[in-house]
Amino acid sequence: MIRLLNVSMMPPGVGQPVLRNLTLSVPQGEFRWLLGPSGAGKSSLLRLLTLETRPSAGQMDLLGVSVSHASRATLRNLRRRIGFVPQDYRLIGEWTVFDNVALPLRLRGASERDTRREAFAVLEWLDVAHLADKRPGALSGGEQQRTAIARALIGRPELLLADEPTNALEDAQARRLLTTFQELIEMGTTVIVATHNEALVREAPAASIILQDGTIANTDIQNGISTRRAERS
Amino acid sequence: MSAPVSPGLRSGSLPLLVALMTLLAGLSLAGLAGVQTLAESWSGAARNATTIEIPSDTPQLADHTHTLVQTLNKTPNVTAVRELSTKEVQTLLAPWLGQVSDSAGLPGLSLPVVLIVAHTGTPDLGTIVHNVLPEAVVEEDRRWGERLNGLGSSLIACAWLAVSLIAAIAVLSVGMTVRRSVMAQRKAVEIVHFLGAGDLTISSRIAGRAALLSLAGGFVGLLLLSPVITMLARKLTPFSHGTPPTDSPANTWDALIAAWWSTLHVLPRILLEELGALPLIAACLGWLTAQTVVLAWLRRLP
Repeated sequence: MIRLLNVSMMPPGVGQPVLRNLTLSVPQGEFRWLLGPSGAGKSSLLRLLTLETRPSAGQMDLLGVSVSHASRATLRNLRRRIGFVPQDYRLIGEWTVFDNVALPLRLRGASERDTRREAFAVLEWLDVAHLADKRPGALSGGEQQRTAIARALIGRPELLLADEPTNALEDAQARRLLTTFQELIEMGTTVIVATHNEALVREAPAASIILQDGTIANTDIQNGISTRRAERS
Repeated sequence: MSAPVSPGLRSGSLPLLVALMTLLAGLSLAGLAGVQTLAESWSGAARNATTIEIPSDTPQLADHTHTLVQTLNKTPNVTAVRELSTKEVQTLLAPWLGQVSDSAGLPGLSLPVVLIVAHTGTPDLGTIVHNVLPEAVVEEDRRWGERLNGLGSSLIACAWLAVSLIAAIAVLSVGMTVRRSVMAQRKAVEIVHFLGAGDLTISSRIAGRAALLSLAGGFVGLLLLSPVITMLARKLTPFSHGTPPTDSPANTWDALIAAWWSTLHVLPRILLEELGALPLIAACLGWLTAQTVVLAWLRRLP
């Protein structure tokens, strides 16, 4: 469950807020496209939702936790329940693909045996298991993106956020990722995907949050990914 | 190697820095030990001795001197009374009177009788002596002892100040190295933080590495220090009461180490313990500094 009430965000040193009076609610286990032109505030909203920054005004609740005044320990525990696929992948260059992907489980204190099993399962599913011992610098853009996706998925997050997660993927891989999102939703994960890829949005129509100049221009509810769960059940 | 859950420390010149700081700290500690030993011996010697001078024109000098020596020998806490020989008195007065070869002294100038009284407590010798021989002059060496003690304390304070400054510079150097390392790996640290790593998880890994490198640097510093300390020990050997080490060449490593160790035994035990603890102290300082710097840096992140 995501709930934003009159949330604004003004980064330090910036004269005006990059997000203004956002009010939105996404129930648990729902899918949303996050759409809008460049500079509309999509990345800023994702930074808020990944807890990289706190709102400068308003009330934000994530997964039942009020973020605005949460302690560092609360935020740390909340971050472990969130998966994020950044546009720039954010892989640690000195570590192997395996260590990058295994990190969320290791931070939760999972045993090395379980971590290894889970990590290789997700790496194989994303077709990068053979790269497990390589460092990110030796990978192509698509391989790095799949590694970032694997790291976001490995912890079975309750909230999955993705910023242009298909821009370095081939069509078949992008479609496969959409299927994964569908499966996660069925397991109760809330998924928000920011994209410019109109073809992808057409292929998987779903409710959208459309941003324009730091405010919500429209919430477009369509039949699509978010309602398939109800249809199946 | 344990599984990585946080970026480590890019050490740079940390071990070398710590090695040099350990060397400096070791030299300061050696100086401190020397000053402490000197100060103690000065004040101890002065505190437990009193000089009594009986003018040469005192009537029946020999009889009165004998009576006074007997009285002093019976006084509680007095451990020894010694009358200086004429030659010793001449030597004592040489700075003022010049060297006199004639045992009778300078023509027209007769030498006083000088008694050195050793004691363990603080008997009121002045009163005792004046009751027997009012003409005698009692020189309480305690006042000199206090002055020497004051001088020794000042020297010790200076040596401690030097040790503290070295420790402060070491902390500053480690802190700057750690900070540079965190800044260089800022992206990785932020990634780990935003994936849910606790502050202590991140700082402990960096601090653990800092401690290990400081420990290694400390041992290198100790190694660099050992020739200086050995040389110092050799210089001190003639003043020690123990058996001087033999200069015969050692043929085996064991013999070599045993000879070296017996040389070091001349040094105060406390100094050897302090030097041995230097690498551990360096490791603790490295760990604490790194923890503090990283935790302070992480507080910037939400």
